[in-house]
Amino acid sequence: MILMQTKAIFIDAYRELNAKKLFWLTLGLNVLAVALFASLGINSEGFSFLHWTFDAQFMNTNFISKELFYKIQFTTWGVPIWLSWVTTILALISTAGIIPDMVSGGTIEPVLSKPIGRVRLFLTKYLTGLLFVGLQILVFSVGCMLVLGIRAGAWEFGLLLAVPIVLAFFSYLYSVCVFVGLVTRSTIAALLLTILFWVIIFIANTGDSVMLAQREGAILRVEDRQEAVEVQERFATKRIEQFREQGKPVPGEGDEPLPSGAVDTMSAVNPTLTKARDRLADAENSVPTWETWASRVFVLKTLLPKTQETIGLLERHLISNDELEKLNQMGGNNRAANENEPAMADPRVPERVAKIMRSRTIGWVLGTSFAFEIILLGLSTIIFVRRDF
Amino acid sequence: MESVIDVTGVEKMYRRKVHALRGVDLQVGAGEIFGLLGPNGAGKSTLVKVLLTVISPTKCTGTLLGSKIGDKSALAQVGYLPEHHNFPQYLTSRQVLRHFGAMAGVERKARNKRADELLEIVNMSEWATHKLGSYSKGMRQRVGIAQALMNDPKLVILDEPTDGVDPIGRRDIREILLRLKDEGRTVFLNSHLLSELEMVCDRVAIMVHGLMRQQGTIDELTADRSGFVITAASAMESDALDTAKNAVAGIECMLEDTQTKLRFNTANADQIQPAIDALRARGIVIKSLGFHRPSLEDLFIKAVNEHPDGAKPGAQKEKKGARS
Repeated sequence: MILMQTKAIFIDAYRELNAKKLFWLTLGLNVLAVALFASLGINSEGFSFLHWTFDAQFMNTNFISKELFYKIQFTTWGVPIWLSWVTTILALISTAGIIPDMVSGGTIEPVLSKPIGRVRLFLTKYLTGLLFVGLQILVFSVGCMLVLGIRAGAWEFGLLLAVPIVLAFFSYLYSVCVFVGLVTRSTIAALLLTILFWVIIFIANTGDSVMLAQREGAILRVEDRQEAVEVQERFATKRIEQFREQGKPVPGEGDEPLPSGAVDTMSAVNPTLTKARDRLADAENSVPTWETWASRVFVLKTLLPKTQETIGLLERHLISNDELEKLNQMGGNNRAANENEPAMADPRVPERVAKIMRSRTIGWVLGTSFAFEIILLGLSTIIFVRRDF
Repeated sequence: MESVIDVTGVEKMYRRKVHALRGVDLQVGAGEIFGLLGPNGAGKSTLVKVLLTVISPTKCTGTLLGSKIGDKSALAQVGYLPEHHNFPQYLTSRQVLRHFGAMAGVERKARNKRADELLEIVNMSEWATHKLGSYSKGMRQRVGIAQALMNDPKLVILDEPTDGVDPIGRRDIREILLRLKDEGRTVFLNSHLLSELEMVCDRVAIMVHGLMRQQGTIDELTADRSGFVITAASAMESDALDTAKNAVAGIECMLEDTQTKLRFNTANADQIQPAIDALRARGIVIKSLGFHRPSLEDLFIKAVNEHPDGAKPGAQKEKKGARS
């Protein structure tokens, strides 16, 4: 009977989505997106779209393989923009009403009067929402995998990882949508508050990136200034040796006094060293502040679902660290920041931040996110089980 | 008689404020048509929802089809039509029936066959492939009743089944109810339409203000208010009542309407003959003599008037969704 009831709920959910037409609209858009993906190409001159070719300095087969080109497109716009934004918004619009519609007066009573437990009923309804977006992602991912296979000759089944990964990402948001929909019994409230929550996550992600960039910028600045101090110290040592060789008195040695402003012999023979040391001290002072803020934002993020990092897991899988290194080198991001620029403007910072993001464990990314989802879903289930209709 | 519903002391308190059920006792026997009456807010729908696990009771002991109240497995043998139901508009009536049949655990072949049979019974076969969005209220009600019968239930609970149905439809529903009874099923009806209930119910209960005030067969409930009525050609003086009382010592007697009717609380014609003679001797012209049995409506109004708080809609501050 369990299988029969589950099947009936899924069929009903399909009919409901079918009636809303959005299911087919979203599916059509996904097919269109795959067609656009297939229209992209790369050759030794640059990249192409339909019959137009664009010359590109690095985006050509002399620098990257066809396979990497398509993987980059898939992980740059296919998943983070298309699946994570467009498809997700359409999916939320389509599925936000599933729970409020189910618990509306006159609809829920005949269902609850059937021999089905409330926990199973609620969780099955929740899964129907996920099934909707799962099918959409599957269509897009299989389409993109075929494009990669046919156009680049690389059959990368790893692209199908987009299905569980984007589904996990959607499920975080959908658990919020279901909770609000159940509490308020309103589709509009469920949709708007979920989008608001998504904005909060986005702000937390941005805050995390900014704080990490500030921290890494400050650390890089300390490293740079440390290096500058070492250069000045070497220069000062050379000068002291020259003084000794030439028989000149060395400030601070013997009875020779230190000039005003100098703290030791080296700074006495090289006044620039004092400035370099002061700048180093300034830079060192700013590091703990950014470390504290980065830690605070990290704690906040630990409590929230990790949407950005979850989507990032796909890129981690599809693009290796070596390939990422190569791509970063193409961007020429190895020069130090100008001293007049803010520390986080250092061109090396994004690469370091990206590495830190990549170094965050899958356990932390998925574990804490699913913990959030399970808690919220558990709370929703308790409300549903205890509510009088 | 075997009890299909047997509950005692059912209580329901909403948010520690609204006492919707105050210790209801209810017994419904197998194979009977049972009618539950009561004014708005009396707690009728709440009671039904408690039986069907839609609402959790504050206190309840008893059984439904032999299983403890709250046991979901018993619901496989129960059919339910809620008041103000709202079946998905995007489904056709055939799809509604098949869907709820599957939810009730009816095997595919059986439910496909039964769905078509039931659509035939409720005269909706021609509309089987049309979506509910295009149906009238009466048509939806017919589909709702068919839905309640999909699992071939032993107990059918119908909350206001004739709501929004035209007279022909009501007659059809009455016939369905009698047919269900003939098939040995138990039917539990919640309705405001007292005349409808009177026509089909074996037993009725009147619920007011969260309490069961009366329960029994219509004959049992009306027995103490049935009796002969003497109608005079003109209004009688108050001493005419004394004359009649003296003539039928020990039998309750009262003057009604515009003092033209004398009602005797006895079903024995012999006992009122002396009163007729005494009244005629006083020169009172008797226009007619008849036997009066109160209607269900009379009983209902009497029960409500005895507990006037229950007659006011929302008197118990009953929450939304706990309609009666």
